[in-house]
Amino acid sequence: MAFPELSEDEIAQIISLTTPQDACNMSAVSRHFKSIADSDSVWTKFLPSDCENLIPHISPKKSLYRHLCDHPVPINGRNVSLSLDKKSGQKCFTLGARDLTIAWGDNQNYWEWIATPESRFNEVAQLRSVWWFHIIGRIETSMLSSGTNYAAYLVYRFNGHRQGFDRPVKSHVCIGSEELDEGRSVTLDPREGEPRAVRERAHGWMEIEMGEFYNENGDDGTLVCSLREVVEYKRGLVVEGIELRPMY
Amino acid sequence: MSSSPPPSSAAASPSCPKKMIALRSSDGETFEIEEAAALQSKTLENMIDEDCAGTPIPLPNVTGKILAKVVEFCSKHAEPGVDDESLRAWDAEFVNVEQATVFDYILAANFLEIPTLLNLTCNVVADMIRGKTPDEIRKFFNIKSIFSPEEEEEVRRENHWAFE
Repeated sequence: MAFPELSEDEIAQIISLTTPQDACNMSAVSRHFKSIADSDSVWTKFLPSDCENLIPHISPKKSLYRHLCDHPVPINGRNVSLSLDKKSGQKCFTLGARDLTIAWGDNQNYWEWIATPESRFNEVAQLRSVWWFHIIGRIETSMLSSGTNYAAYLVYRFNGHRQGFDRPVKSHVCIGSEELDEGRSVTLDPREGEPRAVRERAHGWMEIEMGEFYNENGDDGTLVCSLREVVEYKRGLVVEGIELRPMY
Repeated sequence: MSSSPPPSSAAASPSCPKKMIALRSSDGETFEIEEAAALQSKTLENMIDEDCAGTPIPLPNVTGKILAKVVEFCSKHAEPGVDDESLRAWDAEFVNVEQATVFDYILAANFLEIPTLLNLTCNVVADMIRGKTPDEIRKFFNIKSIFSPEEEEEVRRENHWAFE
C-alpha cells in the first residue's frame, strides 16, 4: 500500500494535520496530490472555525486563507482588525486607538483624533500633551487562538514635537488587574546609544513589545494590555493601536 | 499476621466470562478479540449488535497480517489501568513500522472505523510530510510526478505567498 493509493478523504485528513506551507509543498508533488492539497477539506482545517464566514464571497478556502493573511478585516464596528498568521493560521488582532481606553482621550486639550491615510483605521490618537499617560487595550481571551503564545505590541509613531518618551513607561500584559502584575519597562523613544527594542513597521509606524501571554483554552477572561507613566510631561505621540499576534 | 487474598483486579468475575468475538480476515485467518476491545471499532460495534451468534465476522478488506495487529491495538487500548504516558509510548512503538504497513493500518482503521488508530496513523504520515520540499516528499514516498517542469514551476509560483 502506497501513499497515492489512499482515498482522497484519507489523504486530505493527513495533509490537514500538517501546516499551510506543507500543504503548498504537497500541491507541487503531483497533479493528484495538488487537487487534494488545494481542496476546501484541507484549508477549512487551517482556517479558525469562527473566521470562515467573515468574507463569504471569497472562495475557495485556500484563497480565503491567503486573503486573511494579507488583508486585515475590520470587526467590532471597524475599530478592531483581524488577520491570520501565515505560518499557523492563528488569529492576529489589532485594537485600533478608538477601541482603547485612553486616559483624558476625550479631552481635546490633551488628545486629538485625526484621520490619516497611513492607518487601516478611520482615526488615530495624537497626543498634544499630558502628564497622566495611561492607555489600556482589552480583548477577551475567547477570541484568541487557543494553544498560542501571544505578544502584544504598541503601534505608534511620533510627530514633530515629541517629548518625555525617552524615559521608561510601565507596560502590562495580563489577566485582570494591572496592579497584580509585575509588568516591564519599555522605552518608546530611546536616546542614541541606548538599547533599542523599537521595530519599524510599514507605512511609517513603529512597534514595541509590551509583554506576552500564553492563551491555553481561551477561558481566562479578559486580557489587559496597558501602558502607564504619570510623572513625566509628554508630547507628540501618535497611537494607531495595540496589536496581538502569535510569537514563536 | 492475617493473610487475606489480594483483591481481584480482573475486569470480569467468574460468573460473567468476557465475551469473545471471532473475526475472519480476507485470507481466511480467524482471530478472537474481547468484546470490550472490539467496541473500539464502530463497524464491529454495529455488527455485534446485529447478533452473529458466534460465527466469525468476515472482514474482506483486511488481511490476516494487518488484522492481527489491529486486534493487538484494540486490546491494548481496552486494557484498564494503563496510564497515558505508557499508552503513548506503546503507540509510538506500534507505528514504528515500514511505510507500507502504516498505510495498511490507515485503510484498516478507516474501514473498521477506529478513531484512535486512524488519528495515530494519520499523524505519523503527517510527521513524515512536515518540513519536506516537494522533491523530498516524492522521494520519501516514491511518488512519480506527471508534472512537466513548467507546470511544477507554475505551482511553486502560485504558492510562493505562503513562504514569504
